[in-house]
Amino acid sequence: MLAVGEVVADHTYWITREHLVRYAGASGDFNPIHWNERVATSVGLPGVIAHGMLTMGLAARLLTDWLGDPAAVIEYGVRFARPVVVPDDDTGVAVRVAASVTEVRDDGVVALEITVRVDDQKVLTQARALCRPPAAPSAPPAS
Amino acid sequence: MPIDPSVVGRVYPAQLYEVSREKIREFAEAIGDTNPVYVDTEAAREYGHQDVVAPPTFAMIPVMDGVDILMDDLGIEFARVVHVDQRFTYAQPLRVGTRLETTTRLDGVRSVAGNDLLKILSEVRDAEGAGICVSLATLLVRPEDSGEGDA
Repeated sequence: MLAVGEVVADHTYWITREHLVRYAGASGDFNPIHWNERVATSVGLPGVIAHGMLTMGLAARLLTDWLGDPAAVIEYGVRFARPVVVPDDDTGVAVRVAASVTEVRDDGVVALEITVRVDDQKVLTQARALCRPPAAPSAPPAS
Repeated sequence: MPIDPSVVGRVYPAQLYEVSREKIREFAEAIGDTNPVYVDTEAAREYGHQDVVAPPTFAMIPVMDGVDILMDDLGIEFARVVHVDQRFTYAQPLRVGTRLETTTRLDGVRSVAGNDLLKILSEVRDAEGAGICVSLATLLVRPEDSGEGDA
């Protein structure tokens, strides 16, 4: 049984320039701020930044990895609070994602708060999801 | 020039999009998601799906088709747009082979410090009209003459 405050998943994902190129192609979002340093800095960004939807997608991965079934995610929303700057090296930037339970409803639906950080800064805020959690083990209770 | 609030309430023609197996695979790979339900029919069946389904944020692809039409209509260049927030409410997953129809409505325009904040509601349905996903997005549009951001 899940309890309020319980951390259900916690993982660090890395984003490199290669990931940005792949995501641009897959999503169709070719905004040059996600691949061109010159354009990114010319519009006042500190450098090439990750697509917000890529960061949102990584945070969703944490949920679907935990749930198994993507259809168990009923609602999912985020606010894009800070750009995720992706350096031009082979390592990239570390994005740490953790999800904790904020509410367990009578119908079994679980509300989660997701924290998404680069270093100590939240890059997504108000990141929340409603999910139907993984089914309990099918074996009958011991007592 | 700020966006005239009289455009609020505009509804744009349904955009059609067919969810394909290869696009699901490509998208899942792009976000590094190795969940087999995105590529393996048998794995998807274990969760009661007839065939593979797409990752939750895949919904942005059909949603963007409608947002593009809205931005064209309002004369907004993509380079001036910043995504502020995004929420999806899912009634069903996006299944392979589903022909989606996405309608887009401009729900609000607010001017904040010289920028326009647009609230955009997108409804993704299947060809029979059954709801699949609702997207609520806020986009910030910088004024045309600025060109410079501080994000």
